[in-house]
Amino acid sequence: MNDQAQRTISVRVRRQDRRGSAGYWQTFRIAHQPNMNVISLLQEIAARPVTVEGRHTAPVVYDSNCLENVCGSCSMVINGRARQACNTLVDALLAERPQVEIAPLSKFPVVRDLFVDRSRMFDALKKVRAWIPVDTYGPIGEGPVVAPEDAATRYDLSRCMTCGCCLEVCPQVNHRSEFIGPQAIGQAALFNLHPTGAMNSGPRLEALMEPGGISDCGNAQNCVKACPKQVPLTWAIGKVGRDTTLHAIRRWLMK
Amino acid sequence: MTTAVEAWLRRNHFLLRRLHSLSGMIPIGAFLVVHLYTNSLAAWDAHAFDKHVREIHEIPYLPLIELLLIFLPIAFHAAYGVAIAMQGRSNAAQYWWLDNWRYTLQRVTAWIALLFLVLHLLHFRFAHWIGGPEYQATIARGMTPFDLTQWGFVDGTPVAAWLWVTLYSVGLAASVFHFCNGISTFCITWGITVGDRARRRVFAASMLLGAVLLAWGFASLYALTARPKPDLRLPPQPDARPVALSPADGGAS
Ligand code: SF4
Repeated sequence: MNDQAQRTISVRVRRQDRRGSAGYWQTFRIAHQPNMNVISLLQEIAARPVTVEGRHTAPVVYDSNCLENVCGSCSMVINGRARQACNTLVDALLAERPQVEIAPLSKFPVVRDLFVDRSRMFDALKKVRAWIPVDTYGPIGEGPVVAPEDAATRYDLSRCMTCGCCLEVCPQVNHRSEFIGPQAIGQAALFNLHPTGAMNSGPRLEALMEPGGISDCGNAQNCVKACPKQVPLTWAIGKVGRDTTLHAIRRWLMK
Repeated sequence: MTTAVEAWLRRNHFLLRRLHSLSGMIPIGAFLVVHLYTNSLAAWDAHAFDKHVREIHEIPYLPLIELLLIFLPIAFHAAYGVAIAMQGRSNAAQYWWLDNWRYTLQRVTAWIALLFLVLHLLHFRFAHWIGGPEYQATIARGMTPFDLTQWGFVDGTPVAAWLWVTLYSVGLAASVFHFCNGISTFCITWGITVGDRARRRVFAASMLLGAVLLAWGFASLYALTARPKPDLRLPPQPDARPVALSPADGGAS
């Protein structure tokens, strides 16, 4: 670390003191260490919250939990791209540009600094009934047999950690639109693919046929590229697009 | 009143979105292909173009067909499309992905195509509203459709002709991109292409179609503006000749 100790990293952080207040930038200088991730940068700032101007400030507030790309809580816009602070390595960032820039997700209300309120995604899960209703505590026997391919597709969809990266990069998700976002559509597809969950596919599809539902997708297909869990979002959107089309035709002709 | 309309729009949201997507293909996209096909004839043979245009104008119920299959669908697609476009916020500069650029271009070309369409209609179809010629009347007075169209471009200063060509080139490119890219998004929206590979293939095919349409469009634009003017009065003469032959030609008399 001796010869590395000279090297410092400039970290520009978007701050916001409370909900609805104006944001501002602060820059910190952090000693470079090998194998740092963005969380460790923020920890270094917390250890010595002094800006480059020498101003003592409050440690940067951020949300995090698992620190291994599983919980989805440390999503941030890092060097202009939505990603997880825990699995974003500083050396990789420095290879792109000399400064590290960290901002909160822009499609969610900021609680403080980098900590955003992601509850719209949990509301969306309720809207599409992203669960399988079981109306008894008694034994109901084994579930239906599922083809391995279906199970594999469902596994891919089930990896979603509600991190919000897909909403962040979606041009259709913004304050002027009601679009529910890719994540909820992916989860609706997940539960519609389950043999028991499929029994409630009607209400799920109908929830997605309302304003802000599947038809508000603009086909930019950013979601699937930004998803840190490789959830097949555009596949799910295509599948739900097909299912809602058929559901609408069926509903129209059958009643 | 506005709330009643809004409630109706919200109640029929899914249907309207699907109709917006469908109308871009049928009838509007289909019309664009037919229109550019007609134009392309001008590049091959002005007479074929004239014959085809006259045939079109003989279709029974033409004004009704025009209204129901062209003007109303375009008005709906444009009006609803503007409402949709207002809800998007492009981020292609931040997220530099091809599909994201296609998203942005789809909206940019929509605005260009809409503006171009209005000018194009005033230039030809509704020119008589702003003091220009009316198709049927002009044809009745003996002008050929090719001549009339060419006149629309080159009657005026060379600068004006170049402005027309530029305007039409941009309008053509925007309309063709909007339609062809729209084919691939139509297939996604309706759930026809679900997998990524299927989407890539449809996109490639739609861009190929776009190349054909552009070739047709530019060839006809060239024929109607830059190419030396064909003598359109020539062909009727072989038929007319035996009658008119005798005195003027100094032939058998
Ligand atoms: S689908 Fe992917 S990007 Fe979207 S919330 Fe889930 S894990 Fe995050």
